[in-house]
Amino acid sequence: MEAVLRHLTNILELLAVSQTDHVSEWDRHTTLRAFQWAEYCEQLHSRFQCNPAVRSALESALSDTNQRLQQALPSCSPVMFSELAQCQHMLLIHLLTNPSAPNSVIPILFPDPKTAAQDSQFDQNSLITCKSAFNLLCRTSDRTSYAGLHVEAVVRGKLLGNLLNSVLSRTGNDEYARTLLDSILHDSAGKPESLYDVIAAALLSPDDETNSVVPHFILAWLQEQDGCLSKLCKSLSPGLCTVISRQSREFKQAYWGVLKQWASCLEFDVLEGLWVPTSDEPVTFIILTDRFKELLNSGPPLKEETETELKTLKREAGDFNVKGICIWTDVIIQLKL
Amino acid sequence: MEAVSETDVQFWMAKVVNWGEATSCSALLDTSRHLGSLRSFLQQVLQGLQQMSSTSEAMKTFPFVGQFLGRLCWNPCVIADERSQRLLLRCLSCLYSAEPLNAVEQKANMWIKNMLCHLISEEEGSVAHATVKHAGLTPKRYHSEALQKVVSLMTEEVIKSCNGLPNTSARCSNGNIYVMSTACAALVTCPQMSPLIGALLKHSMLCGTSCLNQEFIKEVSEALIRLYLCVFCLSLLHSKRLVLEDEAVVNLWCYSPSCLEGAAVSLLESVLSDHETMTQSLDKHVNDSLLPQASADHCHIFLTVSEIYRNVLTEIDENLAVRALIQVFTVCFLQRLTGQKTQDRLPLRAFFPHVMPSLLPPLLTAPSEVPREAWLDHLIWIRSLLQSVMENEAGEDVRAYQAVFQAWFLLVQCGYWVDTAAELLVLAAPENAEPLLWLLTFFHHPTNRGHQRSQQTAEAREAWTHLRMLFLTRPPPPRHLSAVKELLSSSLSANLVLHLFLNFTVFSHGPVSIINEINDKVLTEAAVKRRALWILASIRCRLNSAATRDDRVHSRLRTLQDTLLQT
Repeated sequence: MEAVLRHLTNILELLAVSQTDHVSEWDRHTTLRAFQWAEYCEQLHSRFQCNPAVRSALESALSDTNQRLQQALPSCSPVMFSELAQCQHMLLIHLLTNPSAPNSVIPILFPDPKTAAQDSQFDQNSLITCKSAFNLLCRTSDRTSYAGLHVEAVVRGKLLGNLLNSVLSRTGNDEYARTLLDSILHDSAGKPESLYDVIAAALLSPDDETNSVVPHFILAWLQEQDGCLSKLCKSLSPGLCTVISRQSREFKQAYWGVLKQWASCLEFDVLEGLWVPTSDEPVTFIILTDRFKELLNSGPPLKEETETELKTLKREAGDFNVKGICIWTDVIIQLKL
Repeated sequence: MEAVSETDVQFWMAKVVNWGEATSCSALLDTSRHLGSLRSFLQQVLQGLQQMSSTSEAMKTFPFVGQFLGRLCWNPCVIADERSQRLLLRCLSCLYSAEPLNAVEQKANMWIKNMLCHLISEEEGSVAHATVKHAGLTPKRYHSEALQKVVSLMTEEVIKSCNGLPNTSARCSNGNIYVMSTACAALVTCPQMSPLIGALLKHSMLCGTSCLNQEFIKEVSEALIRLYLCVFCLSLLHSKRLVLEDEAVVNLWCYSPSCLEGAAVSLLESVLSDHETMTQSLDKHVNDSLLPQASADHCHIFLTVSEIYRNVLTEIDENLAVRALIQVFTVCFLQRLTGQKTQDRLPLRAFFPHVMPSLLPPLLTAPSEVPREAWLDHLIWIRSLLQSVMENEAGEDVRAYQAVFQAWFLLVQCGYWVDTAAELLVLAAPENAEPLLWLLTFFHHPTNRGHQRSQQTAEAREAWTHLRMLFLTRPPPPRHLSAVKELLSSSLSANLVLHLFLNFTVFSHGPVSIINEINDKVLTEAAVKRRALWILASIRCRLNSAATRDDRVHSRLRTLQDTLLQT
């Protein structure tokens, strides 16, 4: 174990150095060795990814080393355990993007396709082919035929779902799974809407509908993130939310919760005779009713359940039949229930 | 000498600017239509760059190259095509300087590194980037799995739209099929694509309208042909693997006649290219090509393949390899045909429309289905039918000539009867030899070119007489040995004599040692040995489907083949 932790520290140092100008001293031998270490590191990841005990030891070693390196070399970025699976790739990217990397190193990493063996360590052809083939196919399927989601989101969502499933299948990995989702959220800060699509696909992903581990986990995580669930529901179309509600009881409940919360942000403006938003939440009465309309159009049992819920809400709020007092009354009237 | 012409440069630069990132359907279509010619142009550019001594010189000679390659790197349709991708990367590799001498070269290096970065990773901050980064897999594995998933989703979509078919009167309602097949044109050599390609081809079969992109069809057929050649030539180094289900391949042939022709021709080429392997396992090889099965299931496929081989034979009618192929192909085809359900079976007439119908029953019945004692009578029957066809040739009318040719071609297809005649000649009594010799002569010399028929018949009889003496007398008389050798080297009937000779070797009853001695003395030249191997290949295929197995004969055959292959 000692040795493993030492190796891990070495690799992190290598990765850090590859981002600085010290890399200019690397020669062919150093470079190849660095990649060997990186490959070893990838094996560490795959062996211990689902093993909570070993992994947490590695994670704390990582965290210590990250801190230490940050102080010494502020420009380099910390490395998370989940990233170790792509150690060689990271190293390669660092070398490509670091202007101080020696010029002689690049041809080693991108050997002439004609002379190099097909499965050499540095063969990027199959990666490039698969990646562009994937992009190309996603483009041609621009009809949104998967519950309203684009096929790219569906695939990424399924892969995410598979990852979470394998991580959660062993006990003690909840925290780690949460870290994964946190990291993904953090790293896609640029385009949260696309992420929400992927999460929606992950919620829909288990082919076996009785397996609710992943949807349950994702929902719990969403509810921990401030406002995330609400943003997600807003971003996804009413139709999609309905589809997910049909598949997952838990999501249905959570969704209703969000809708109730939205409803609480609306106030009746007596002068205009309308329900208007009071907070920054861009929710209007129409939006709210559209959401419920979609749920009601979905057919049994969701239709009946939603009707019942609305009626219960109306009753609990005083059972008014006149407009303008209770939002649920007005919703019910609007939807002609 | 200019590596690339100015007009080409202007044409291609305009194209790549127009295509952009191939986000629109029309850009995608246009890219896929030009993929083939783009590859040729890239090849020229690469050759030009390879001549340069430095990057600075390259940039001066080919000022367009930076923009050109850069834009192509952003076009996924081009990158996804393995061959174009390799050419692009090799061009980039040419432009990279391990020791940059000036600012231009340094800038070029930086730019190339950027391109490579772009090719292997995603834009930071995007969901793609985030999900790949934390996927717990290498990017290569992630994308491979992602590709598999998207292929299976799209394949399901295509299959679902197939379930509404066949409905040949309605237009294919799924316009998406066309776009999908356009994308697939670039991707045919990607192994994960085969389920989708198979589904698209099946859809096209059921749909009845041409809803597949032509480029796609062309690419699939070319990839298949390359696969055949690679597998058959046993060179897997540069093989482009396209593994399709048998059904998809046959659908492709039904859909595209040029594809079928390509398959038939490539079978022929592969057979001719490697006589050592082919003569050992011709029937397996022919069956693996799927053509016999496809021919049995689809009459038009059989007719097309027969037509192609018939045309080849008119060009090189003395070629024993081609004849062996035709014979084995017909045997495999007939075996598949008998395997079909009776209610699905078309009458044989449908498969052999041009030939005199009375010829079909005797010739299409295999020798294994006829008792050995009846062989002679059967062959006499065949001979009399053929003679009646030839009697009408007398007028030198074109139609009459064609009738003879068709009859002869049928005999070539059913060459196992000619082989049977040759086998019988080994042990025949002189009074029975005449019809057998006639058949052999007709088989080897169908036309009466220069009115040599009588001379050929005489030579056949002479050869037979010498061979009988040679193999029946012990020790083998040198007079007959040299006579046989003489006949083998004269060009007029060399093949016929060789044919007879080999049958004697395999089927006569003398001691093995004597026979080996005779062989060693007679089969000395390389060209003769090669032709001998082809004749033995047909004999072997006939014996493989015989009713009973004669071990002695088989071991003779084996020994002879091994000896011939040794040198």
